[in-house]
Amino acid sequence: MSGRARARARGMARSPSAAEVGLIQASQSPLSVALSDSEASSSSDHVGTSRISQKYEGGLSSGDAGCTFKERGGKIRREMMDLSVCTREKLAHVRDCKRGSSGIPVKLVTNLFNLDVPQDWQLYQYHVTYSPDIESRRLRIALLYSRRELSNKAKAFDGVILFLSQKLEEKVMELSSETRRGETVKMTITLTRELPASSPVCIQVFSIIFKKILKKLSMYQIGRNFYKPSEPVEIPQHKLSLWPGFAISVSHFESRLLFGADVSYKILRNETVLEFMTDLCHKTGMSCFPQTCEKQLIGLIVLTRYNNKTYRIDDIDWSVKPTHTFQKRDGTEITYVDYYKQQYDITLSDLNQPVLVSLLKSKRNDDAEVRMAHLIPELCFLTGLPGQATSDFQLMKAVAEETRLSPLGRQQRLARLADDIQRNKDARFELETWGLYFGCQMSLTGRVVPSEKIIIQDHIRQPVSAADWSKDMRTCKILSAQSLNKWLVICSNRAESVTESFLNCLRRVGRPIGFNVDHPKIIKVQENPAAFLHAIQKYVDPEVQLVMCILPSNQKSYYDSIKKYLSSDCPVPSQCVLAQTLNKQGMMMSIATKIALQMTCKLGGELWAVEIPLKSLMVVGIDVCKDAFNQGMVVVGFVASINPRITRWFSRCILQRTTADVADCLKVFMIGALNRWYKHNHGLPARIIVYRAGVGDGQIKTLIEYEVPQLLSGVTEASSNTSPKLSVIVVRKKCMPRFLTETGRTLQNPPLGTIVDSGATRPEWYDFYLISQVACRGTINPTYYNVIYDDNGLKPDHMQRLTFKLCHLYYNWPGLISVPAPCQYAHKLTFLVAQSTHKEPSLELANSLFYL
Amino acid sequence: MGFLLNLLDRLLKVGQLDHTSRAGDEVFDQMQIEQISSCNSVVDGNVEEVPNKKIIKFNPPLYKQRYQFVKNLVEQHQPKKVADLGCGDVCLLVILKYQKCIEELVGVDINEGRLKWNGSRLSPCVGDHLDPRELDLVITLYHGSVLEKDCRLLGFDLVACIELIEHFNSEDLAKFPEVVFGYMCPAMIVISTPNSDFNSLFPSAVFRDSDHKFEWSRMQFQTWALDVANHYGYSVEFTGVGEPPAGAEDVGCCTQIGVFRKKAKATESAVLEHHGEHVYEVIYTTSYPSLQQMNYRRRVVTYLVYREVNRMKRTCQVSLRQHELEPESADPGNPTRKFISDLPVPVLTEADKAMEMTPQPFCIGDKFYVPLERIIAYPRLGHICGNVEKLREFLADVVELNCNGSAVKVDLHDCGDY
Repeated sequence: MSGRARARARGMARSPSAAEVGLIQASQSPLSVALSDSEASSSSDHVGTSRISQKYEGGLSSGDAGCTFKERGGKIRREMMDLSVCTREKLAHVRDCKRGSSGIPVKLVTNLFNLDVPQDWQLYQYHVTYSPDIESRRLRIALLYSRRELSNKAKAFDGVILFLSQKLEEKVMELSSETRRGETVKMTITLTRELPASSPVCIQVFSIIFKKILKKLSMYQIGRNFYKPSEPVEIPQHKLSLWPGFAISVSHFESRLLFGADVSYKILRNETVLEFMTDLCHKTGMSCFPQTCEKQLIGLIVLTRYNNKTYRIDDIDWSVKPTHTFQKRDGTEITYVDYYKQQYDITLSDLNQPVLVSLLKSKRNDDAEVRMAHLIPELCFLTGLPGQATSDFQLMKAVAEETRLSPLGRQQRLARLADDIQRNKDARFELETWGLYFGCQMSLTGRVVPSEKIIIQDHIRQPVSAADWSKDMRTCKILSAQSLNKWLVICSNRAESVTESFLNCLRRVGRPIGFNVDHPKIIKVQENPAAFLHAIQKYVDPEVQLVMCILPSNQKSYYDSIKKYLSSDCPVPSQCVLAQTLNKQGMMMSIATKIALQMTCKLGGELWAVEIPLKSLMVVGIDVCKDAFNQGMVVVGFVASINPRITRWFSRCILQRTTADVADCLKVFMIGALNRWYKHNHGLPARIIVYRAGVGDGQIKTLIEYEVPQLLSGVTEASSNTSPKLSVIVVRKKCMPRFLTETGRTLQNPPLGTIVDSGATRPEWYDFYLISQVACRGTINPTYYNVIYDDNGLKPDHMQRLTFKLCHLYYNWPGLISVPAPCQYAHKLTFLVAQSTHKEPSLELANSLFYL
Repeated sequence: MGFLLNLLDRLLKVGQLDHTSRAGDEVFDQMQIEQISSCNSVVDGNVEEVPNKKIIKFNPPLYKQRYQFVKNLVEQHQPKKVADLGCGDVCLLVILKYQKCIEELVGVDINEGRLKWNGSRLSPCVGDHLDPRELDLVITLYHGSVLEKDCRLLGFDLVACIELIEHFNSEDLAKFPEVVFGYMCPAMIVISTPNSDFNSLFPSAVFRDSDHKFEWSRMQFQTWALDVANHYGYSVEFTGVGEPPAGAEDVGCCTQIGVFRKKAKATESAVLEHHGEHVYEVIYTTSYPSLQQMNYRRRVVTYLVYREVNRMKRTCQVSLRQHELEPESADPGNPTRKFISDLPVPVLTEADKAMEMTPQPFCIGDKFYVPLERIIAYPRLGHICGNVEKLREFLADVVELNCNGSAVKVDLHDCGDY
């Protein structure tokens, strides 16, 4: 929630000039701040010569509904920026081949479709000028499109730049168009570039073509994706409508152009803002209604009834009613009621509702004007999940059940989309005029690497299931554990007996795994967060190894205040358990086992290991997370292994003020980690492999230019003669491709350990996909790895298998996870700080996994 | 240079004159093009070119006044099928698509490119799916000449020919009545054309648009119109938009309009011969979701039932834990009370009274029941469903009912109060 935007909206709405509610302009200063974040990417192209060319440079429109690339293009262009970073050519050992070799080949079906263009296909880029000059983009387009010379050609035009798939006869062509008023406008069309199909500009044009095509298939663009309103999934008890649709992309993969589509759902609420407010008013009562209402509504995205636009609610103006008037552009005053009646034949039923205020983003980057829209709650639909829905188990379950698609179901949706594209007359026409051929779904061959053995105290065993070896763990001694001698348990009076029986259980499960638990000091307190905190402050002394709190409710303030105090102010490992959890009959043993393992880790213990062939390797996970409270603050987590077995970890975390999710202070962390390694191993590691998660689109260049040098200088500074070799790998959990295996007549998720390093990868990168987690229901998302820096020169096969091994080492889950353990640790750490403590944890805890 | 300034001037003025407002929607961009394309036929365009003379401005702009005129006709006569001949940039259709009475809307134009380019402006928006119309609406754009007969244009209630006839040469003009009056034979036809009497107020002697083949005086138009009306059995009334400035009232309105109405209720032609020729090419067609479609009707009913049931449940919950609640502010001037009308206020409306007569909701254990008879008393649901049996049919398989199917059954306490 943007407090600033709100204050701004308020300030403006209530300033004297607000008397004319029409269009309120504010001075440049406040807005440029607000917009700079989101539109920073476009600031670079302010080099044009005239005002218009500035505005349109680089942006294109799909040519029909007038949606400019400019508006939605931020992401595309950022992806493009990533693609221009060719990291692979600098990595000599993978320049020729980046494919691994081990494992059993497996045939995989993808969600990518071949998109073929003729060999000699070219895109022709023209620059169009008007004489006399015309400012209106729509008029410019309308005039050009009315020319017969162009009417049957495939074209994309944004008012300045025209793309054609066929070359015009002359390099400079002069056309004149006559407005119906009889004025002649001369248009000069000049060829500026001829682009091959592999050019990034072509990719942009292809994306526009597919946007057009999906619109022809009666889909609606909401945000970036396309949705089909004709087959909604209804969840009426929760007032939700889910619209099925697709996220699409066109890109150049390894050797060819591919169209990718993934099933997506848009959540729309069958509830107007007025209904929501009425409901809320009944619930909260009058006195705190306006405050609660603002708290719940501000920041939400609404969809207006009468057009396809979405707005963010920035404020609620309680002083304006629908019966009030506003000034139209032509200067006349009209009431909101009359306006909506006249314009849309809509009769407002409630004349006492307030109006919602939304700040409109100016479409022109150079424009300093802030515009505000007043919206009538009755005519606005809410979108997205309701604020606290994520904690509403029933609702989430209902949504998940509807949206989770089996591999086969997903494939059927895709097949239907492909079929629709190929059958629809308009879609086919569009593709044909551009000279594109929509081909078949791509299959490729992946490899399934062998499963890993788990090392537990003195013996190695192959778990029954690689996905979950918790059963195997119950009877085995873990690698190392400190015994717990002096510790505190804080619980409420009500939870006393359940706590006692839990402690018995804990002792019982601790013994076989090698974790000795002495009797704790039990403190009974009242049921409020302050009482818990007070007890902790009173009883924790330097001797205390661990504090356990049996929380009476999952109210966030209990957890937050305890964690904040015990991770920063008075660093002691802490374990919070919900009393409710301990009441679950018949599950006590497995709950106690889980908690025992967690406590062991928090005390610095090691649970299990996998075989690591590299003898002196440090692995590092870095993640970045936005602070939930403080806007503009990000939390950077850095977790490094400090023994060759990769079972002990050094965890650091910092809050930093920045707009981009780029980590600072990595040098300091790296030096700290290497010093710690040196202390434990009396030498430095030979190799360091860094897994970097939380990377946004378009940031790869920044990582290479900014983060890698920090890490390198940390490495050099910490070492005296030969420095350890460094590799940096970007980890992404979200990526477009999906892979499925065909078994008989049906489709399944690919087996654990499936690696894809061809076909769906990028030629300019050293990248691969790995499936390291199971999904009981639904379809698996592969994790995408991109090696952006690599001094180690490991064979791709070794790099892939090492990554797979690291997915086994997350101690909070006795099984495989979707990312390497250091990434998950770093994520867990940053999440704790960003959500609960908002304060850097004490260095004293850096040697234990206190945040599990 | 002078021309450039002029154009710039006009563009600026376009902005001023045109912007309807932004109350909630950014019609600005949309309207700007409408204006630009339509202002081609707006008179003040020409006038500006001689700066010495007094500029005649219409407010609202003349083209809008014409559209408003057609819209008023629609509101007054509630036609079901409306066609716009020479629909151009489909601006009039965009205005008419919001009219609840219209079930079929057709645009015909000879410029295929413009229809293609503008078709998407007529597609239903997301809100039309979430809150469907009462009646069906099909919008179709045809590429073709108004002078050709296409049987898909038979049986219309209103046909608009706005600023159309002055673009015909004499041959075409002679054909026009036969097609529109003789063949299409709609219940009502509205024809607008420039009034050349008004041109005396303009500095230049040329036509208002370079494509105009003629501009008629009121006398000329009325003679033609009466002639056509008599021949095809229509009555005609003359009016206009664009009031002349004070002192020049005798020139009449800037745009003259003839509203033709079919005299005899031609019942015989109502039996439509639909196996005529399809001459026009369909450029764009769209069908709106509506309550006439069973899936949408069922959906709306389900949501309304849940809404009403939840509302009653809330009231019930409140009364159950009344003592826990803070006392309501007794201050009648309490501003918060007026924020939303729909609050438990003691004033009963007619509907509330009707509601009071129906069986009350009740609780058994932790289940809350609302009799269908009470639900159907809610006016909107009553209107959509008609009777309890229909309601029950709609709710089957979607909403849990009690064992004898007479009441909706839900949990009294919802776990997820957000």
